Amino acid sequence: MTASSPLGPIEIEVIRNALTAAAAEMDVTVWRTSRSTIVRELLDYSTAVFDAEGNNLAQSARIPGHLNSMSHLLRELLDRWVDPAAWGPEDVVITNDPYCGGQHLPDIVAFKPVEHEGRRIAFVGTLCHHIDVGGLAAGSYAAKAIEIFQEGLRIPPVKLIENGVRNEGIWAMIRQNVRKPDLLLGDLSSQIASLEVGAAALRRLATRYGADGMIEAGARILDMSEAAIRASIRRMPDGVYEFTDWLDDDGIALDVPIRLHVRLEVKGDAITVDLSGCSGQSTGPVNATLASSVSAVMFAIMTACDEPFAANAGCYRPVTTIAPEGLVVNARFPAPVVHRVAVTHRLLNAMYGALHQVVPDRIPAAYYGNSYVCTFQTIPEEGPRGVLVEIEIGGAGAPPGKDGVNAFASGMHNNSNIPIEMIESGLPLTVTHYRLREGSGGAGLRRGGLGLVREWRIDSPRALFTANMDRFVHAPFGLAGGGAAATGRLTLIRDGVETPLPPKSDNVPLARGDRVRLETSGGGGFGEPARRDPALLARDVAMGYVRA
Amino acid sequence: MSDPRPIRIAVDVGGTFTDLQVLDARSGTVQAWKTPTTPEDPSIGLMVGVAEAAARFGFALDQVGLLLHGTTIATNAVLQRQLARGVLLTTAGFEDVLEITRHVRKELYILDPDPFPCLISRDRRFGVAERMRADGSVEMPLDEAAIPGLLARLEAAGAESVAICLLHSYVNPAHERRLKALIEAARPGLPVTLSSGISPEIREYERASTTVLNALLVPVVKDYLDRLARRLEIPPPQPSPASGGGGAGYAPSPAGGGGGAGDAPSPAGGGGRDPRAAREGGGGAFDPLVFLVQSNGGVCSLATAAAQPARLLLSGPSGGALAAGRIAALLERPNLVAVDMGGTSFDVSVVQGGRIGVVTQGEVDGLPVRLPMVEMRTIGAGGGSIASVDAGGRLTVGPRSAGARPGPVAYGRGGTEPTVTDANLALGRLDPDYFLGGAMTLDMAATRAAIAAKVGTPLGLTVEQAAQGILTVTNANLGAAVRLSLFEKGLDPRDFTLLSFGGAGGLHATDVATEMGIAEVIFPREPGTLSAHGILYSDLVQDLARSRVLPARPESLPAIAALLGELRAEAAARLAADGVAPEAQAIELGADMRYHGQAFELLVPWPEAPDLPPLLARFHAMHRSRFSYADAQEAVEIVTLRVTAIGRLPKPAATEPVPAARPALKGSRRVFEDGAWRDVPVWDREALPPEDRIAGPALVEEAFATHWIGRGWEARLGAAGALIASRASAPSAKRIAP
Repeated sequence: MTASSPLGPIEIEVIRNALTAAAAEMDVTVWRTSRSTIVRELLDYSTAVFDAEGNNLAQSARIPGHLNSMSHLLRELLDRWVDPAAWGPEDVVITNDPYCGGQHLPDIVAFKPVEHEGRRIAFVGTLCHHIDVGGLAAGSYAAKAIEIFQEGLRIPPVKLIENGVRNEGIWAMIRQNVRKPDLLLGDLSSQIASLEVGAAALRRLATRYGADGMIEAGARILDMSEAAIRASIRRMPDGVYEFTDWLDDDGIALDVPIRLHVRLEVKGDAITVDLSGCSGQSTGPVNATLASSVSAVMFAIMTACDEPFAANAGCYRPVTTIAPEGLVVNARFPAPVVHRVAVTHRLLNAMYGALHQVVPDRIPAAYYGNSYVCTFQTIPEEGPRGVLVEIEIGGAGAPPGKDGVNAFASGMHNNSNIPIEMIESGLPLTVTHYRLREGSGGAGLRRGGLGLVREWRIDSPRALFTANMDRFVHAPFGLAGGGAAATGRLTLIRDGVETPLPPKSDNVPLARGDRVRLETSGGGGFGEPARRDPALLARDVAMGYVRA
Repeated sequence: MSDPRPIRIAVDVGGTFTDLQVLDARSGTVQAWKTPTTPEDPSIGLMVGVAEAAARFGFALDQVGLLLHGTTIATNAVLQRQLARGVLLTTAGFEDVLEITRHVRKELYILDPDPFPCLISRDRRFGVAERMRADGSVEMPLDEAAIPGLLARLEAAGAESVAICLLHSYVNPAHERRLKALIEAARPGLPVTLSSGISPEIREYERASTTVLNALLVPVVKDYLDRLARRLEIPPPQPSPASGGGGAGYAPSPAGGGGGAGDAPSPAGGGGRDPRAAREGGGGAFDPLVFLVQSNGGVCSLATAAAQPARLLLSGPSGGALAAGRIAALLERPNLVAVDMGGTSFDVSVVQGGRIGVVTQGEVDGLPVRLPMVEMRTIGAGGGSIASVDAGGRLTVGPRSAGARPGPVAYGRGGTEPTVTDANLALGRLDPDYFLGGAMTLDMAATRAAIAAKVGTPLGLTVEQAAQGILTVTNANLGAAVRLSLFEKGLDPRDFTLLSFGGAGGLHATDVATEMGIAEVIFPREPGTLSAHGILYSDLVQDLARSRVLPARPESLPAIAALLGELRAEAAARLAADGVAPEAQAIELGADMRYHGQAFELLVPWPEAPDLPPLLARFHAMHRSRFSYADAQEAVEIVTLRVTAIGRLPKPAATEPVPAARPALKGSRRVFEDGAWRDVPVWDREALPPEDRIAGPALVEEAFATHWIGRGWEARLGAAGALIASRASAPSAKRIAP
């Protein structure tokens, strides 16, 4: 404790917990009030609290890929897009624009400043993945876009609410450009309500600690997380570590794999991650902006640290990321980016491949590394169309000390599934199978977790199917001699005939009775398969986890 | 006519102690007793406790008319995995739903996660060819030709109990029922639990989880209830109508519940009617009516418990919440937030407008239980929570706990990491020589050394500052949990009174209240046996539900009326089977509702059913108050209809306790408070007369608890022996640490 500081470590911890509680209250608000399945059942949203400069101070326990990108976005807004002096406490700024610091168009982020005694003390922010923002395909997850204009409505940083008054023009423009306006605007209302909840919590805190206290506490909270991460890095052996993993393709040039190469340099208590060896940006939507790529790098290093830390922007300080513009990890306007999550998943896989060389007792083999996003648009004879967005998962990679978990939301995302009975009660779709995929985990001393099989049948006269997936060619790798996991498969079953469907497909026309089967990757194995305990192997066979 | 069985006993079996409260309806006296729990068979401790209480309080066993029993037998069986070997039957193609779960992770930044718990492994989950649609129509009939093969697999798997959860069985249970009939015909005595019987609600994973828990508990709980029945010399439980939809697997019998046949008189019968008159062998023996505490804050017959033991799973908090409800009524404080702080956990429940909050789903050990339960928020903060400092200089308290072993450093059982209890001891709030009424001595020197080594030195603080810091962080965390519990419902803490109980709660309550802006704290009598006190005044409560996604519009009314009719008839039959007289019966209706497209429903009371406008008006109003918006134009859906059948047990009045005849002021103790060591008065709770006023800072001690009355608070005795502390003035401005 420095002599000049009015706040001791006790007050700092009390304030830090209160900030986390504020993010949790915002989280509850979104969860309880949202309307769309993607938010309400898949839980694809995040809430966070920031300091007055835009540094993330506290997070809800939601989506790592969101949480560690929001600071980047807010800093970008303050530096380039919104005049900080003219951003009042009753102004809510929203944007979904990857080229203004965001990630992809379905993610609309809303921020609001918090003031106390006329001074800005914080920001609160909420990110929701919206069910549809227009563009080529329902769900706005078009696999074949070649520029961002095809991916949906691009909302630049704008004040949706100014001086407490909603800008009806923006509201109407959104309504006019999306497929499910009531759901989108309902979810957006939830986001706005959550901002007010977060702001109220921070104002309450500020009445006790004052503006100076809040600002001081924020700085100290960031410093502590930085110190914890540095302490852990200091224990890592200095050196240069490299690893390469691959994305199958960008959906346009189908035989060209995309290289994700990381060069990681550990030096003292800092790490430099050089992504210059990654492929140039893609023609198709398998691209990421810097906000996305940096979140994957940070997440990898935060998880690899063995020191307890509070997740916030202080954790980012010991890490420098080098990513020249024009690469798949830092795409240049107007590249399409909707499948940026594929890039971040694979980047995280590659980071773990390198970190395995640094801390081999800690890092698991590759998880499925993919968000299995697919959309069904059901088309009745007459009346409104239905939209179902599904995000499925695969198996966890085996860590050094135990088997990988079957069907476990891993890495950059963290989604729930949608109950089959809820889908069938609301839409003309039937789920005909939902089970573990036998034999899909990588072999090893520790077996990789199994992927899933999910199969849907169309019960409406017609439907359109869109998919955007990866790991159908390049399997999740094993480590320390462990085997790779199975690659994914997507199959159309029509009149009893099975045909492979391309994993990056837009608006495939389907008819009543058609079935679509998705088989997801498992996780890689860890250690030589020959070293596996025969009793565990026998159990795997008895359970049908591996085929005899 | 005097009641020959005027004694009512509530027994709450905890991990360490079995708590009893005994009410004598003739005098209105309520007395408490404690006896060690006998984990190998809790019914032994129960009987010992009853016998001890009878000797101590001077009643005969044949005077006991009612025994209300709270038990953790089901919960402990799950936590320790002492469960039956079960088989799960599902719609073919969905055998793995139980293992796939909803698969969202709670810890974001760990690399070696554990799987979600799954109680039936893959080699004992079998698919059945059949399929229902969401509207209840049959897409594929049940393949009965496959049954012989299925029976062989049950045999080979060594099934001791069978769970059946087929898709959309909450709409149409025909396939589940047929399957059960076929299995029972071939394998009489093999218990079968149907999802449509235990939890006929939409969402296949949550329903399957509940069904599996029930199935695996049936043999365990049956064993316990049989042993209990033998000790009580009453007939073993027989199936109740609760199993009619397919609950348990006992041999069918026309007899009803623990109260005897359906024509038995009511235990709830008023007007001097002897509830025991019709029972055979009513004279001489210990032969009370026995009811078990459920998760929903009510009690049920032994028969219901035997058929649907999952209803007991989260009964632990029920007693505390019931007590909170009763205190809310006795002290005329309709808005209470009750906090129960023990060694490892801190439970928060809310009484709003005099009613205990009940939710439609809970969780045990990470496994969802889709059954009504008392609403409770639990965080891992208790007397045993460990304080530590990380490499970044951050002080954290919990969620790691020293538990009972090794426990706090002060216990001298090998604990080396300082805990919240240690911090209370170091500051003088606990008396090292009078812990648990003097049953245990605390090691002050070791405690101070551990706080200095693990917290003080790393942060550059004195032992006192470090201990105070541990409490400050803890109280802020407790406050945040209380705030979130109220916040979720759109409630303001300033409208609430804090009710503090549990072994460790009293030391933190006024500080947490100050933190929250709450102006009043109630410390009930005997906070350690408060749950038993709540159980003493419980009612029979049976919850029935049926999911059917319907638009909340007039054209749905025929379907709604039909469903409600079925549910009401079943509720009435169950109450009759439990021997509840018509005048003691009450039936409450409700509907889980949402705006079209929402994922989670609000439970809306519907006393005017099936009249829709008042239901819709209440839904919109509740939605606005909880979620800050409502839209009367938006389409509204009913997802689940609910019926609660209540059998009211008589509530004899209790007399006020008399203060012990000794000085109320015991003396004083050196306590570190507000930055300095001071002499703080220590009061004797049991000797406190109503006219005394205790100004904080002060300590109030009783046999099994110590209460801290913070600076700025004043405490006095209120109704029912409760100590009521009020904040004298607005809290002073935050004091900044030097």
